[in-house]
Amino acid sequence: MVQMEIREKACRGCKFCIDVCPTDALAFDEATQKAVVKTVEDCIGCLSCAYLCPSGAISHSGHHVVKNFYRNLYFSQRMEKFL
Amino acid sequence: MSGEKIRLNTEWLCDCGGCHVALVDLHEKILNVLDSVTIQHCPVLTDIKDYPEADIGILTGSIRTEHDRHAAGEMRKKCKTIIAFGTCAVYGGLHGAGLAHSREEIVDRVYRHNPTTRTDTVPDSEVTELAKLVTPVDEVIDVDLYLPGCPPHAHFIFESLATLIEQRAPRVTQDTVCARCNRQMVKSEVNAIKKSLDGVPDDNICFLSQGYICLGSVTLDRCLAPCPNHGVACTGCAGPTMQILTEPNRDIRTEVSDRMSRLTAIDGETIKTHMERTAKTQYAYAMATKMIGNKPTFLIKKWIADVEAGAHG
Repeated sequence: MVQMEIREKACRGCKFCIDVCPTDALAFDEATQKAVVKTVEDCIGCLSCAYLCPSGAISHSGHHVVKNFYRNLYFSQRMEKFL
Repeated sequence: MSGEKIRLNTEWLCDCGGCHVALVDLHEKILNVLDSVTIQHCPVLTDIKDYPEADIGILTGSIRTEHDRHAAGEMRKKCKTIIAFGTCAVYGGLHGAGLAHSREEIVDRVYRHNPTTRTDTVPDSEVTELAKLVTPVDEVIDVDLYLPGCPPHAHFIFESLATLIEQRAPRVTQDTVCARCNRQMVKSEVNAIKKSLDGVPDDNICFLSQGYICLGSVTLDRCLAPCPNHGVACTGCAGPTMQILTEPNRDIRTEVSDRMSRLTAIDGETIKTHMERTAKTQYAYAMATKMIGNKPTFLIKKWIADVEAGAHG
């Protein structure tokens, strides 16, 4: 079961995630001017919202992880060492 | 740890010295650090010229002279853990933008035909010769840990040092500067890119919404976002986000233009072209590293040639 979390403090209210979501799983809270998860069961774990979010405020868990072999290897070898 | 203190060496290479000042920014917390750390070689504090054996070695700055190369090598031999500290050490930093010019051009501009001072003497004693290129530390020696930031905020320095001393996993995040910024991103009808000195930006609305180029969304937060929260657009000093570094075809200009074109009425291609024409500014902090330089999308030489062709044509 896919879980999705939006860190409210980091959300800048740009609505990118709502625009990009293919299954309309997110909504905008007009009162707080922040994005909220509307129907998490609709989430297909495509991670489009997490990718586009300028703050990196959206995180998913329990989704099917697809291995991406097309990576910047020079950086990826060092990624674990970043503080 | 046992009762023995952890031995710390620090050394500066080609940099401004700000990273060493950032260590002092720990304020009272530096007393907590000193409880468990002995500072040995540290150019701003101690008069130790050689490199004693140490547990942690902090290297700030990039490699640009023979002294830098020698010092980095000596530090690697004597320190168990080397931290590339600050954007210069990790990515080549601001002077990494010197990559866009030849060594002769730089020496001529600074020492022979400087527009703001009168000098015609190129320094040739006391200092070692300028190397041909700026090199990040990890291309010369093995680096164990990277802490970008220009300089890294004391919050992250303390967290990293405490992590090493207590031997636990660090709690630093992969957030972008936007995550700490208090501005609201709103969709707007702005249809032209503004320069940083055009008009006065609104304090509560995102710079991108107002037509100013801001690199907050593509920059790792190692600063707690002081610039955008005080009216200055982010210049990307802590280097690119993990997202940009891992994806070969995503880049500073593609990601900013994508987000800005969604917020404003400006066409994405227009923003991308603008950022290519100002590439020396947009990529200033990170262009010297292979993490960015090897990207198929990074064509700095072509962009500079295009601008120069436009200027002369």
